[in-house]
Amino acid sequence: MVNLLDKQRVESTQPFTVALLEQSGREAVFKRVRELSPNLPASDRAVGELKGGRGGAEQCLDAIDPVKYGSSRNHLDGAVTQLSPYIRHGVISMGEVRDRALKLSTPKQAEKFIQQLLWREYWQRIYTAHPERIWQDVEAYKTGFSPEDYADNLPRDILEGRTGVGCIDGFIAQLLGTGYLHNHARLYLAGYICHWRRVKWQAGAQWFLAHLLDGDPASNNLSWQWVASTFSHKPYYFNLENVDKFSGFNVDTRPETNAPLAGSYETLFARLFPNLEPSR
Amino acid sequence: MSYIWVHEDAMRLDHPVFQAAGGSAQPVFIWDTQEHDKRGYSFKRRVFIYESAQALNIPIYAGEPHEVLSALSDGSVLYAADTPDPYIQQILAELGRYQDVVKIGTEDLSHIPANADMGRFFRFWNKAKKSALTASWEKDEAGHIIRTERHRS
Repeated sequence: MVNLLDKQRVESTQPFTVALLEQSGREAVFKRVRELSPNLPASDRAVGELKGGRGGAEQCLDAIDPVKYGSSRNHLDGAVTQLSPYIRHGVISMGEVRDRALKLSTPKQAEKFIQQLLWREYWQRIYTAHPERIWQDVEAYKTGFSPEDYADNLPRDILEGRTGVGCIDGFIAQLLGTGYLHNHARLYLAGYICHWRRVKWQAGAQWFLAHLLDGDPASNNLSWQWVASTFSHKPYYFNLENVDKFSGFNVDTRPETNAPLAGSYETLFARLFPNLEPSR
Repeated sequence: MSYIWVHEDAMRLDHPVFQAAGGSAQPVFIWDTQEHDKRGYSFKRRVFIYESAQALNIPIYAGEPHEVLSALSDGSVLYAADTPDPYIQQILAELGRYQDVVKIGTEDLSHIPANADMGRFFRFWNKAKKSALTASWEKDEAGHIIRTERHRS
């Protein structure tokens, strides 16, 4: 049945009332979305800080600093843009974002920033040419294991953020609570799920798509395959020292609460991929 | 009257589909609860999508897109932004059996040879880099670089 929902025009507001009205406006949206989603569990109540729509995209766009991004993007507290949910849903075009970056800096200075946009274009091109690759292994695992060695579903402790691994539980809490994770944190979490817990990348990818505001089948799933090694020449893994290096002060990187991640790359490689010849 | 389906992969009013459809075309957004459920979207994802749709200030309908669009357009021309999403593609293909459906893409950031190696990102990047690092105002309509002098605002 066709049901016209909303033809209401955006209300003009006086500047001093904007914040209050925007807050009440969001609450009205929350109520409406709840009404429209009768099958959502009542316990699913978290909302992200980023507000959908062109206005939110412009706020993020006005704040970009391509030069600072280039030098800090791998750090969890780096100068990232949070534009990805808007780009994913086409609220803003990648061309507009690229052009803004090139107004603010030289092509050389903006290279890392624009390279990240190109990752999305790369994934989209593959999605268009080979839609089956979104859920199927592009290549064989290079982990010494076969797909049958991986669990089909995420364990409950991961779904609930109670793995007992401090930084991992922090990343899960952020994912579930805000719908946003820094790209490096996504890699850590995906690597943990695929290689420490040996769960199929498809299960993790589906979970991310449910929660990430920028969840896109191409960027998300093919990145998971990159971590899993089904779309790369080796598995992505990390150690606690690496997390500590890039995470700043807001992430729990204490050795006593992150024991499974502690150790040299050689030690972890031997533990995680016992069927492979030592490397790295 | 022709219609523009503003779907969840292209939620902006300056998408080229608007120019292609012309000023008299009616844009609509369709809230698809069934598909959100199927995809397992959390509350926060749905809120973001709803806010993005609401900000467009266009009519929002609830229902299955195929049903809504069939009822609205009634055989007239339907425009939509192109997307690789198989679900949207399927709906457009089904509608295309009974009416004209026009899919409009966006310009890529980069221009690469048709036979470029896409096996790994950095092989793609090496081919795409030059055009990707060139602003729109330095390219012609076909995306070819027309000058190398940079313009700053």
